[in-house]
Amino acid sequence: MLATLSFKLFMREIRSGYLTSMLLSLVLAVTIVSGISLFTDRLEKVLSSETQEFLGGDLKFESNDTSIKDVLETLNLKDSKSSEMAILASVIFSEEEMQLSSIKAVDNAYPLIGELELENSSGTYKTTESPTPGNIWMDERLKNLLSLEYGDKIYLGDATFVFEATIIYEPDRGSTNFAFAPKTIMNIGDIDKTNLIQPGSRVEYNYLFTGPDEEISQIRNILEENRNQGDDIESLDEDDSSLGKTIDRSENFFLLGGLIAVLLSACTIGISSQRFARRHISYVAILKTLGMNLFQIRGLYLLLFLYTTLLTLVLGLTFGWLLQSNFISLMDSYFPTELPAPSLYPLYVTCVTVLICQFGFIYPHISKLLDISPMRVLKNDISFNQNILPIFFMGLMAFLLLLYIYTNQITLSLIIFSGVIIFSFIGIGCIYLLLGKSKLGLGAQDPISLALSELRRRRLSNSFQIFAFTVAIGLSLITFSASKNLLGSWQDSIPENSPNNFAINITKEDKESMKIFLAGNDIEVDLFYPVANAQIVRTKDKDDIIDRNFNITWVEDLPGQNEIVDGDWFQEGVENGISISDEIAERYNLNMNDEIILQMEDGSIETYIQSIRAVNWESFSPNFFVIGHPSLFKEKSSTHITSFFIPEAKQKVAAELMREFRTVSVFSVEELIKQVRDIVNQVTKALNSILLLTCLSALFLAFSALQDGFDQRRHQAAILRTLGATGRFIRTSSLIEFSILGLVSGLLGSAIAQTGVYFIEARVFETIPGFYPEIWFMGPIIGILIVSGLCLYLVNGLMKQSPKELLKLQT
Amino acid sequence: MILTTKNLRKEVPSGESNLVILDDITFNLEEGKSLAITGPSGSGKSTLLGLLAGLDTATSGEIVLDGIDLHLLNEEERAILRKDKVGFVFQSFELLPSLTALENVMLPSELKSEDNPRKKGEYFLERVGLSDRQKHYPNQLSGGEQQRVAIARAFACSAKILFADEPTGNLDPKNGKLISDLLFEVNSETDNALVIVTHDQDLASQCDKKIELKLGKIID
Ligand SMILES: Nc1ncnc2c1ncn2[C@@H]1O[C@H](COP(=O)(O)OP(=O)(O)O)[C@@H](O)[C@H]1O
Ligand SMILES: [Mg+2]
Repeated sequence: MLATLSFKLFMREIRSGYLTSMLLSLVLAVTIVSGISLFTDRLEKVLSSETQEFLGGDLKFESNDTSIKDVLETLNLKDSKSSEMAILASVIFSEEEMQLSSIKAVDNAYPLIGELELENSSGTYKTTESPTPGNIWMDERLKNLLSLEYGDKIYLGDATFVFEATIIYEPDRGSTNFAFAPKTIMNIGDIDKTNLIQPGSRVEYNYLFTGPDEEISQIRNILEENRNQGDDIESLDEDDSSLGKTIDRSENFFLLGGLIAVLLSACTIGISSQRFARRHISYVAILKTLGMNLFQIRGLYLLLFLYTTLLTLVLGLTFGWLLQSNFISLMDSYFPTELPAPSLYPLYVTCVTVLICQFGFIYPHISKLLDISPMRVLKNDISFNQNILPIFFMGLMAFLLLLYIYTNQITLSLIIFSGVIIFSFIGIGCIYLLLGKSKLGLGAQDPISLALSELRRRRLSNSFQIFAFTVAIGLSLITFSASKNLLGSWQDSIPENSPNNFAINITKEDKESMKIFLAGNDIEVDLFYPVANAQIVRTKDKDDIIDRNFNITWVEDLPGQNEIVDGDWFQEGVENGISISDEIAERYNLNMNDEIILQMEDGSIETYIQSIRAVNWESFSPNFFVIGHPSLFKEKSSTHITSFFIPEAKQKVAAELMREFRTVSVFSVEELIKQVRDIVNQVTKALNSILLLTCLSALFLAFSALQDGFDQRRHQAAILRTLGATGRFIRTSSLIEFSILGLVSGLLGSAIAQTGVYFIEARVFETIPGFYPEIWFMGPIIGILIVSGLCLYLVNGLMKQSPKELLKLQT
Repeated sequence: MILTTKNLRKEVPSGESNLVILDDITFNLEEGKSLAITGPSGSGKSTLLGLLAGLDTATSGEIVLDGIDLHLLNEEERAILRKDKVGFVFQSFELLPSLTALENVMLPSELKSEDNPRKKGEYFLERVGLSDRQKHYPNQLSGGEQQRVAIARAFACSAKILFADEPTGNLDPKNGKLISDLLFEVNSETDNALVIVTHDQDLASQCDKKIELKLGKIID
């Protein structure tokens, strides 16, 4: 009987339209939450397998020597695998030609992850083996440069090899530091025969590990303990490629958008359930007088909300699934494999969200509703404003809980939470201070005094409205600004016509003729940066060699995409000093003004650290760890590197260039740029739909906050009109009143947005936070426009009915 | 004549066809006189009163109130007419719950932008015997007291004509008598016309004129 009654009640509520805004916001919240968490879940899975493959394992240890091997031998690994490789550069000879190549010498465990794709005379094939001793694999470019056929002899150091296959695809693309040079893969067992590795020669050893998480973190700890200066540990969560960062940041943005949409919806749900409860006071009172006991009434309403929950979950999850499959289909052409199925986590997050919303924002209102004494109805006393604070408090706690669940960071949650509370209180305080004490009377002489007196009189409900508007405006501004920043930083990193070709190994002699060649083909070229190898040694402690070779350049002016973070760029008159990147400053503990010696092939240079730079490694232009003052290097030999943009139509020029300058290596990053651009475009589409959904939730919130206020105004408007107030009078007065509310909320929303963006930039996107003037004028304008626009819509609705009908509706 | 109606008809849409609530209502009322409208529940009394006071529009027919053709006015013009010429007392009081008794009574003067709404409010509140309840809110007053505030508010309108829809309908006989006496008493001090809807034959007989409705028509 309870079930049928509650079902009837449910259907009636749905039909009457009073549940609409609550249902819509719940559905919207579930849609966004499930859509985003499903999407990011799948994206994360595919990315971590991509990154794993890129890295070549779960964990990578880079060192300049093999000393770690002793430590590794003591390790007792059960379920993990490891692989060793040596990476060096050397000149390779065929019968007729010679060419510099980057060489990867791998052990028999290689590759730990994925498979290689090779080609020989009988076609392409895939393998998970490493080359057998005596055999060597090379990439296509090297094969052509050396004019090789399969089976030809190759000379490397003191050893002779057979060219067995061409490398089409290798899984661990992240393994090589000399990525620009053509590549060779050989067996590490052959290395000694070549005699290539001598004391002081430049070799990097990589140790790769895969295995279960616990063992990997155990290995990581041991590596951390035993690492020397210059050793580097990389793991899956440190994908530094520009693609990885792009996707990583957009993922953060998706989660942020989801959180914001949920918070907005939660507020809407709170407001609409208050409205629902108010409407049901007389209903409950009548049920009580008809003899229904509290237990039954509670059951009735709990069932009602069970139906609501089920309906929203079904609808929301369906829409959420559609949303994520839409996102996935935007991006799936960029992933080589079928995307993995999502885990159960998104479902869990969604259900927890709905549960928190129910208990934090709906249940308190219902439970308060049940306390209503039937007497109140008989006395025609349907005001419901007393003691609303406990309900508000419950709502706030749920708000905080949601924040925590979504950010997983207690400090960040508390910051956002207290930000919202503090700004709302400031706003409410301002309103109180500005308006002063209530005066006698309604102030119905003119629209302005009526508006002001209404603002004074309805302080409590105004405060809730300001809170709601502020949350709506502030959070949508955060979303808007975050998406704009994100897109901006992406576009900045790859500007139109940014260089799509790099040329390295340019000799002094080639430099001038290459300039002429490029100019002749109308191709603008960047600076020709001189490049040499240098080792940095501290002057104070000569034994403490920073044993790593750095590519060093020397230029007059600070290259673009570089930002001085400490010290100054070379000043006029001082012809000394170097500038280092902040990464190596940190990694080798080098500080400003440290005296150092640069050891180069043709002599040493004594100098000091003049400045520390932040380098944007995501940019597609030549970047350097070390830049020196040009006058220090006048006598030094070097090759040059440059970059330039070859338009689609002039692709032939690239081939001509390579033929003309045979020792120069030209390689194109066109494909990579295109891929990043495409992904950015697709991600932008997804970002915009999140932005749209968030704004929709904000609009719902603003609307239901206003609607709530208007229920209370309906009666007053009818009485004022009966007493002769014109529609115009009421409309003007309401417009003034709500424009003021909109203005205040807009300003507060801007303040919240600016603060929020600050923390998001600093902590989530890890960029330098900025000040955004546009936020400050968008907030108030949007506030006034949206709030007074919605208000006008609602007032016009009231004006369509005659005062007589309005009064009838009331009772 | 303060009020004249001619062939007044009110229909409301009901399903496919229209429901006729009022039909062929014609009568008039001289200035300063009182009129009682009686009839069984559902006969259309409240609807008629709403039309006469300009709160609603008739389907056809004419209403002339203090020389103004009410049926020709739009809603904004009717609002101004209500402000200048009409006072209203409802069966369910219709006070603003967020205003005190005094503020409720001040409201009409405020809307008319009169000089001292407070003085006028205090005067009429005293006139209905509620001086000591000025600062009380409607939910702190009994039904009878609320209706007295509503009457004070109606008189504060300084209207040419005052409409009261079963002003005693929600009250017990003792309070009802008090209210109707008050209504006539205060009205006698002004030269207002009074139109009152009532079931109460006593009350009706105190009026100068009486019409009876049945199923939306006047019966003699
Ligand atoms: N807006 C309306 N829609 C449908 N029926 C209405 C409407 N207003 C009044 N009625 C009907 O018109 C009749 C007269 O109503 P009313 O004037 O309130 O009667 P009274 O005041 O005499 O009791 C009633 O039957 C009522 O149900
Ligand atoms: Mg009636």
